[in-house]
Amino acid sequence: MFGFEAIIAHDGLGISVIGISVVFVSLILLAFAVSQIHKIIALWDKRHRFKKPRQKKDQKAAPVQDPTVPQDIQRASRQFKLLIEWIGEPFPLPKLLYLSEKCGLYRPHSTINELLKCELIIPDGNGYYVWNKEAEEKRSST
Amino acid sequence: MTDLLIEFLSNTGFALADYRHIIMILVGIIIIYLGIAKQYEPLLLVPIGFGMLIGNIPVFKDFGLGIYESGSFLNYIYYGVTHDIYPPLIFLGIGALTDFSTMLARPVLMLLGAAAQMGIFITFLGALAIGFPPNEAASIGIIGGADGPTAIFLTVMLAPRLIGPIAVAAYSYMALVPVIQPPIMKLLTTRKERLIKMEDPREVSKTEKIIFPIVGFLLCCFLAPAALPLLGMLFFGNLLKECVVVERLAKTARTSLIDIVTILLGVTVGASTQADVFLTPQSVGIFALGAFAFAIATASGVIFAKIMNLFMRKKINPLIGAAGVSAVPNSARVVQMVGQKEDPTNFLLMHAMAPNISGVIGSAIAAGILWSFMSH
Repeated sequence: MFGFEAIIAHDGLGISVIGISVVFVSLILLAFAVSQIHKIIALWDKRHRFKKPRQKKDQKAAPVQDPTVPQDIQRASRQFKLLIEWIGEPFPLPKLLYLSEKCGLYRPHSTINELLKCELIIPDGNGYYVWNKEAEEKRSST
Repeated sequence: MTDLLIEFLSNTGFALADYRHIIMILVGIIIIYLGIAKQYEPLLLVPIGFGMLIGNIPVFKDFGLGIYESGSFLNYIYYGVTHDIYPPLIFLGIGALTDFSTMLARPVLMLLGAAAQMGIFITFLGALAIGFPPNEAASIGIIGGADGPTAIFLTVMLAPRLIGPIAVAAYSYMALVPVIQPPIMKLLTTRKERLIKMEDPREVSKTEKIIFPIVGFLLCCFLAPAALPLLGMLFFGNLLKECVVVERLAKTARTSLIDIVTILLGVTVGASTQADVFLTPQSVGIFALGAFAFAIATASGVIFAKIMNLFMRKKINPLIGAAGVSAVPNSARVVQMVGQKEDPTNFLLMHAMAPNISGVIGSAIAAGILWSFMSH
């Protein structure tokens, strides 16, 4: 059997149409799933935002008191601490700077500089930085 | 003593050879030449070409030397081909080698990988029309997927006697992608279209790259379970690469393992082309249909990219549609080459990798579908 007759006899058209359709459907579904992965990851990363109000409350209960840090920087440091908690530790300094600018925090460059000077933000030795809880507690106890 | 000498001489290859052996040895030498001098897929063509020389030394039947004689060394290593062991292992290595980030950055380009699989099904119809039975037609059609391991995988399942010609046709055409594809690409596109510059893909996070092989595997294999051996290994290899914590395993998969399997696969596929089983009118038909399949697959990808441009705000360069055939990364390189001939500042390689990789997934799914249809 040859030609169109052979194609019809072996249901060639049906196999081809279903075959190419399944290939398309599979890759369309995969493309859709792939296009959503980064959105789901972004949503997952933002889950800390939902905890933010409670953290603020906790923050109010234990304010940072540091006589060696200027008053305005002291206020800003609380906001920076919250921001760092949101980013997660350890964090890259440029990211903190970028987000603090984006959030409209008080003089981000000089504030971060002050926080580095008074060792509230310290390097972790791997090119990243962490919030120095010991220094914070020491300052609040004094 | 004279009798002994005559008996020895009558057992030599010179006495046993006929014109078919000479033809196949010449073909083997040409393939080795293409691999070494022209550098067309040398990793494949050199082992296949030498395998052809090994397989076409005329030997006494039942001497335990030939690839089809049980107990011979070649027959043992051919077991990996006839029992579909090598193709999934090659896919494991490909998975561990491949960076899926360009595909993850622009998932819409995956459709081009699907479109290029049209070549498989149109060739399947063509093979049916010229009188091949359905199982053999399906095995011939899969050459259009431009994926050697997938072609071998399906042929072993559906038409084992055609492994030699189909594998050699698939690998030869994969190696000849730089010759076959550019004229078709130029024929189907205007200069203006070839000059289209695509915007840089977004950065893909590590988490995305780790999640992708798991999601991809589950989704594809739930839809087309027959593709499980190939896609399972492909995505597993990619997970090894991306999760970082098993770097030793990933390194083995992408270096030693894939190299060993490529050697065994290449030599045995080459050796399976013994003159008496290879030089048949059917093989000529398979080679002709293979070329047709490649041309259709390339054309389908390019035409589909042009159709997509009708609906897309940010136009894509239709040349990258040709990379939908899954000869990784050869066809993506050809896209880059053709694009840069028009504009040396246009870098299409990373964009072409997206349809190229999705073409691998698409051809494995197509193989699974054909297998499940033919096995019923």
